[in-house]
Amino acid sequence: MGRNIDHLFIHPGMPADEESASVARLVRQWADREIVTRRMEYREGYHQLFAEKRRKLCIDIGLQKLTIPAELGGFGWNSPSRAPALLSLACETGRADASTGVLMASAWALFLLLAGRSDFPEEPCRSLAGLYSGEEVRTPAFVLTGPGTVGVETPLFLGRSIPALVRGAKTGFTLSGTGIRPLIAGGMADLFCVVCADGNGTPRVALVPADAEGVMRGSSVLMTGLNACGNAPIDLFAAPIPGANLLDREGAVEELYTWLNLLLGGVSAGAGVNFFEILADWSDSRVIKGGGTLKENPLCASVLADVAGEVALARLLLGELAGIVAARGEGAPGDVRRTYTYAGMIGQRVQEGVMRAMNRGLELMGSAGYAREWHVEKHWRDVKTIQSILCGVGAEAPVKMDTARFFYDCREI
Amino acid sequence: MMDIDRFSRPEEYISPFDRHFRRLIRSTLEEAVMPHRRRYDEDWKDHRLIEPAFDRLMAGLGLQKGLFPLKYGGMGMGGSDYFFRLGYMVCEELGRADTGFAVALAVTYWPLLVISVEPYVNERLIAQFAPMFCDTDKAVFAANAMTEPQGGSDIENLNLLGGKTIRTTARLEGDQWVINGHKLWPTNSGGVAKLFGVPCTTKPGSNDPEDFAFIYVPADLPGVTQGGPYEKAGMAADKNGDIWFEDVRVPSWYRAHGPGKDAEAFYQLISFGQVMSCAFLTGALMNLYEKLSEFVSTRTYHNRPLKENDAVAGIIGRIAGDIDICRILGYEAAMIGDRRNKPYGRPLISEDVVGRVRNIKDFVSDKAIDCFGKAMDVLGLHGADRDWDIEKHWRDIKMVQLWMGGKQLCQMEAARYFFNCETL
Repeated sequence: MGRNIDHLFIHPGMPADEESASVARLVRQWADREIVTRRMEYREGYHQLFAEKRRKLCIDIGLQKLTIPAELGGFGWNSPSRAPALLSLACETGRADASTGVLMASAWALFLLLAGRSDFPEEPCRSLAGLYSGEEVRTPAFVLTGPGTVGVETPLFLGRSIPALVRGAKTGFTLSGTGIRPLIAGGMADLFCVVCADGNGTPRVALVPADAEGVMRGSSVLMTGLNACGNAPIDLFAAPIPGANLLDREGAVEELYTWLNLLLGGVSAGAGVNFFEILADWSDSRVIKGGGTLKENPLCASVLADVAGEVALARLLLGELAGIVAARGEGAPGDVRRTYTYAGMIGQRVQEGVMRAMNRGLELMGSAGYAREWHVEKHWRDVKTIQSILCGVGAEAPVKMDTARFFYDCREI
Repeated sequence: MMDIDRFSRPEEYISPFDRHFRRLIRSTLEEAVMPHRRRYDEDWKDHRLIEPAFDRLMAGLGLQKGLFPLKYGGMGMGGSDYFFRLGYMVCEELGRADTGFAVALAVTYWPLLVISVEPYVNERLIAQFAPMFCDTDKAVFAANAMTEPQGGSDIENLNLLGGKTIRTTARLEGDQWVINGHKLWPTNSGGVAKLFGVPCTTKPGSNDPEDFAFIYVPADLPGVTQGGPYEKAGMAADKNGDIWFEDVRVPSWYRAHGPGKDAEAFYQLISFGQVMSCAFLTGALMNLYEKLSEFVSTRTYHNRPLKENDAVAGIIGRIAGDIDICRILGYEAAMIGDRRNKPYGRPLISEDVVGRVRNIKDFVSDKAIDCFGKAMDVLGLHGADRDWDIEKHWRDIKMVQLWMGGKQLCQMEAARYFFNCETL
């Protein structure tokens, strides 16, 4: 682990300000001291240590309130201009543990969505800020769009089924839907951030506390990776929400996807960096054909090059995306759709690239790569899980349709 | 209506026993394994759920005695012209249910194959070990203790290295071999196997095939120590661990064939292992098709079944097409094995056979990894769910690509064969 990864993996879009750099250093220290250098201990007592380490990051270091506006008691990184700095933190966290990274990114994305504009609504920001800047670790879970069920017509967001419906009530709204699948953390979330459709079929975003009336959690779901983010489906039986908990501004769903593509891309790229570090150590010390080290064999070196190349390219692409998000600011609706399209394209390419890097790297490590002892298999499972849940449904088809719509003005696909 | 049995294979290659035997194995697996496989990951250490299923398959159906001649209570597959194709069918069905079960069976055949398939038959050893596998109602496993801590895949690279990196030694003392060494990772280790086939050297550092010895070691002998199973990403039904041999003594006739012949007979394992790996993969791919077909028929995009969307159809069409092609190739690989003794065939240890079957296995592995990865993305939010079974296969089949020297050795063997490389 003696490599200087900052020197190896350049990040031209990274923020140069001292505040961002010092927070990134802090997270790097947390990752190295708490997890990366203690892999064996972490592996054996994962669930207990996960909670402990996550708490340290969220509460002791304070990253849970990073994107809460300063006037509401947070660190005030709620502006899109912070995208490059947030990306670097997502990478650092993902390098240590993807589950922690995804949960951290979810908390950031929640406030970026709610308070990412200068005219952000006082409610629900204030009440949620009160909760998320306290001493308890908080977990939001996102419900995005996904597959529908044959025979059941649903409102659509760019072809994808919207899983819940929001309806007006005497006071506020009610939220309904069954068998709804959060991306992750449905079994442990204290808040659900749900993409839903209003009476006109228009996509909206609603916030419903997990303990609200009419919210039922299903049985836990076992998943390939992100094993600390206990997931479960939910049913919403006309769950009441206050009026302020419905975000009805145009482009909110696109913004949410944009942030998640950027930040979860960062988590995967960070996992890719740690995968690279472990593989590099391996290739230094293992021999092939009874003599030379793996890295000095041209065929093995070409595999190692694929791994480094994919991770480096993923980071470069994400750096560009962070720049696009930061430059957009509070742009017009057309800008929102453009940024959304780029985020989808880059997000998909990043997840594919990191998965390719990991699949290639595992080839070189052979059985050792498959053993839990070396930890690379965990990164491999975690990133695959992120990739699949971000697809939502239909692999890359929906993102390709978004791309074709944007670039070719397709109207019927 | 499409079903998994309509995926292509060269029908004229198929054994007359295929249909009935396949039906029996499939129905047993659908009862004994498939309903329980989602809980196997948590059973990796104790095999409380897995062991009864193994008893039904290995002992109940008799799969563990497949290679032994009929006169010893076996099935006589070792002497059959259809050996590879029957093995392929069995392993394909097992792979459809759980590739961990498939490899546990195939690796039980591995060391036994060294003494029971023409032209390398050792009747005395067959008679010696047959009761262990044939006269029992409990599952019995064998293991091929090849890999060593320092050697990685060197042992599978026998053509190039000639066994010069092997550190496990066999020393002849009177009428006994004395074996010392440390092996790791064999399938069916971790306390499972009753019999080990152990590649050793009689002269450390030598690359002369005469100094390579393949010796059988019953697991309960003094000096044999097995470590506990490793925790892995998947393949819970296949236990792997360390084995130490400390001054283990076996009769001198426990050596498979003797100087020179041992290396040849052992090298057959490469071809057999690669062909059966293809079977594990095509079996898993057939189950992928079943699961994917259910998902894309019942779930929607644009409020229409996923499979009716042109863009999604492009993806799933490619997956099904790849499965079809992989199965054709897999059966071709099996046929290459079964031509071993024919005038128009080549011995299993020939560069021709090794190069071709490694090439097919490499290709099928790559395709399987692509297909499973893509299918998980088609399922999207549900792709990583254990409830859909696809993610389990995705984790398991990665191991199939990695073992036996992995992808890079496959590429080297193909290059050596197709381009006459002399120094690789």
